Amino acid sequence: MSSSQTNLLQGTLDLLILKALNTGELHGLGVSRRIDQMTRGTFQVKPGSLFPALHRLQEAGWLTSFWGESENNRRARFYRLTKAGERQLGHETEEWQKIATAMTHALKAT
Amino acid sequence: MQLWSRLKSLVRNLLHKPAVESELDDELQNYAAQLTDEKVAQGISPEEARRTTLAELGGLEQVKQAVRDRRTGITLELLWQDVRYALRQLNRNRAFTLTAVLTLALGIGATTAIFSAVYALLLRPLPYPAADRLMALTPARSGFDGDALISPDFIAAQSGIKSFSDIAGYNNWVENLVGTGGPLRVNCTNITANFLPIFGVVPQLGRLFSQDEDRPGGPPVVILSDRLWRNYFHADPAVIGKSVDLNGTQQTIIGVLPRRFYFPDLALEPDLYVPADLSLDTVLSVEKPVKIIHAFARLRPDISVEQAQAELQTFYTARARKSPREIAPYYASTHVIIEPLQQHIAGDSRKPLLILLACVAAVLFIACANVANLQLARAVSRRHETALRGALGASRLRLIRQFLVESFVLSSLAAGLGLVLALVITALVRSTGTLNMSPSSSRIAQLLQLPFGKLSASIYVDGGVLVFTIGLTFLTTLLFGLVPAISGSRADLRSALQSAAMRLTQGREQRALRHSLLVVEVALAIVLLACAGLLVRSFVKVMQYDSGFDPSDTLTATTLLIGPHYEHPGEHGMPDPSPDHIRTFIQDVLPRLQSLPGVSAAAIANALPLGPVDSTAITFGAPMPTPPDGTWKQISVISVTPDYFHTVGTTVIEGRAFSSGDTATSLRVAIVNRAFARRYFSGSALGKQFNQRVSRGQFAAVTIVGVAQDIRHNGLEQEVRPEFYVPEAQDPSYEVLVAVRSTADPILLASAMRKAVLAVDPQQPVFDIQTMDQRVASEVAQRRLIMLLIACFAGLAVILSAVGVYGVFAYSVSQRTQEMGIRLALGASRRRLLGLIVAQAARLIAVGGILGLGGAFLLSRLLTSMLVGVKPHDAVSFSFAWILMTAVALLASTIPASHAARINLVSVLRAE
Repeated sequence: MSSSQTNLLQGTLDLLILKALNTGELHGLGVSRRIDQMTRGTFQVKPGSLFPALHRLQEAGWLTSFWGESENNRRARFYRLTKAGERQLGHETEEWQKIATAMTHALKAT
Repeated sequence: MQLWSRLKSLVRNLLHKPAVESELDDELQNYAAQLTDEKVAQGISPEEARRTTLAELGGLEQVKQAVRDRRTGITLELLWQDVRYALRQLNRNRAFTLTAVLTLALGIGATTAIFSAVYALLLRPLPYPAADRLMALTPARSGFDGDALISPDFIAAQSGIKSFSDIAGYNNWVENLVGTGGPLRVNCTNITANFLPIFGVVPQLGRLFSQDEDRPGGPPVVILSDRLWRNYFHADPAVIGKSVDLNGTQQTIIGVLPRRFYFPDLALEPDLYVPADLSLDTVLSVEKPVKIIHAFARLRPDISVEQAQAELQTFYTARARKSPREIAPYYASTHVIIEPLQQHIAGDSRKPLLILLACVAAVLFIACANVANLQLARAVSRRHETALRGALGASRLRLIRQFLVESFVLSSLAAGLGLVLALVITALVRSTGTLNMSPSSSRIAQLLQLPFGKLSASIYVDGGVLVFTIGLTFLTTLLFGLVPAISGSRADLRSALQSAAMRLTQGREQRALRHSLLVVEVALAIVLLACAGLLVRSFVKVMQYDSGFDPSDTLTATTLLIGPHYEHPGEHGMPDPSPDHIRTFIQDVLPRLQSLPGVSAAAIANALPLGPVDSTAITFGAPMPTPPDGTWKQISVISVTPDYFHTVGTTVIEGRAFSSGDTATSLRVAIVNRAFARRYFSGSALGKQFNQRVSRGQFAAVTIVGVAQDIRHNGLEQEVRPEFYVPEAQDPSYEVLVAVRSTADPILLASAMRKAVLAVDPQQPVFDIQTMDQRVASEVAQRRLIMLLIACFAGLAVILSAVGVYGVFAYSVSQRTQEMGIRLALGASRRRLLGLIVAQAARLIAVGGILGLGGAFLLSRLLTSMLVGVKPHDAVSFSFAWILMTAVALLASTIPASHAARINLVSVLRAE
């Protein structure tokens, strides 16, 4: 992992996962690839962080999971956003925009 | 939504663990397989692909653990793990577990039992609505007993005092009830119409009194208590409207009170209620008799007690100003206090109970200190394991938590056992606490027949007490577990894993800890011993007080001559006794009593030693009606038959006792007690005269023919007051208290006595049959109970401290066997070794002794109100306490010391 990834906060990872699943259902590897793709390679999530986050989000009720078949015909666990998860995605995105705007302004100021 | 989802997951994670784990395994295996497949597709060999995949993952097991660590319910799971581990450890060290649990159980059980009493009497909210606004109005009068107001004041206060929304009152008389079940003596409580509503009572049958029924000349209505309804009327549901004969008058039953109504007076259990029928006249005059009434009031929500007290004071000052001259002294010496009802009911019990609680807490502390010492020792012996667990990755916090969980498991086991102990104790208290419910003299307010009165029946382990016990469990866990947990988890890896030669330097601070705990234990034990000593000495003193009479071999009983045969209706609605009938009764009964088996003397009086006494007004000089205020005195007077002094065992010091020559028509005579003679006649009272009030406004001259020894009528601990005796023939009283001095067996005598009285008048049942010794014992019952309890606690404290001393030094010796061996090898004698240990112990015990004596010095002051004839800094008690504890502790330390002295040199040196 690059140094910027070790600083990845738990909350940010949650947001990325929710966003990754926004367009459809994915299995664990798929989520990881998706995040990699969405962030243009900046964040490559290791399974040691990914799976705890996925399970936690599921326990919170924002994801549900089911068993299905992956591309290479392996049994895999797929995750999907719930209604609550969609709402949560909206909230967290808003929050993030606020923080990002604030930080940008702060850093621009002399 | 989140919460619900989490809950579902929690349940699933905990209960369906295998399924959860296998799914996780599946998921991760597949993840790894997918990655491997990709690599294989790139041309890497399958084994290489798999290996690199796993390496990239960081290990399957590690990922699984990462998931587990963040799972909902992980804390609970870990906690449960700790509990199971603790149970396994405790099971392995049975000796330790047994000792610790028993020690703690004793402490927790005793504390819980005492707390249930404290809770029942002092803390539990009274079962009335808004009970904290209920107050008792108690007059404190110098030189008088009695806690009742007079009715004109009461009526005036009801409308005149704005701080109270309601003032209600009651008084109790013993009456004769005649119904379908035969004659029965009952407590007939007169209440104002607003009395029951003030306590929020709702009748289970019928209704309560209406305001209109509570007036002089009001209708004869009566409300039954649940107890009477069940026992006498057999819970007849159609009892409303029926009538019963109460003292010769027909009364109609209009209601039955619910079972759980708790009458707010410790010593009174009413059988039925009638309206008080107080006259609405608030004007005072010497001619008019007044009824007395005990008053309760409900404070308005926005008024404070101080405000109400001030208003009451103003009220009484105004009353005093408006009162006739003769009555003014009454007001001058009366000061009415407002007391919260709960406090009023608890009365004298408050302080002793709190002191008991403090003592038992000290015992609990000592028990915890002992267990803490044990835990410290155990922590040291487990440091290998602790270090290992630290090496495997357990954080310090985790280790501390695990130790605390173990302590908590110990506490819980002990608390369970302790609760059983408390249940047994409280059940015992309840079963022996059956207050003698049969009605006796109506002035029994002060006389508790049992420590804490009828509230003993309500001491049980209920919700509030259970909460206390649970809290106590947590507290004890912290007390004995926290320090060992913190110090035991400080595992220095390197030194712990090294050889035992390093053991010597270990546990330096632990030793300081253990020793200071020991010092505190010894000090506490000495404080308790000193207190116990003070109380024991007080008790002995009280029993030795010259009570003025001889209680041995004396049987007593009571009967009250009431009812139409012995009374006729007088003015103002109060019955006047018929003296001739009473005299006849006494004349008939006495010979029968005297012919009972083994009887050497028999007498009748209207008061017995240790019982409440009537009083009347006397003056000196020429007798005149309505003497000016300041000239008359209120003095206790007792009507007795001639053999009284002989029966009761009191000496007539000067002059003579009464004889059959003192009749209704002969010269009025009196016998005074020594206090009277000293106070009013400077010691030589024989032949002198004074005037006694014989009826309203009428005084008659009385000649003193004898002086008797002082009898402590008002209780063994009270000052003796001036009193005088008059012959029953000249002043018959409806209260007939019988005393019989006989060597026969009291039980046989009791039934014979009952038959003798019934033979004269079958309508007058005899009750309250006790020996004089029993009366004396009841009198001191509370004092004796407290003394016994504190002595028990002190004994327990001594034993526990001694065990603690033994434990600490036994451990210390076992740790120092090498050192002992070396000393022996270097030439020290065995006796020297023994001396070494004992000297160490002696130093600690001495420090504990000094602390203990200092503590006792400071704290014994709190006992002052409970001590009689003994100063709080009594040297004898203190020295005894110090000597006893020091001796026991030193003895306890010699046992391990002698083990040290018997060390086998060779085996010790070889062991390393």
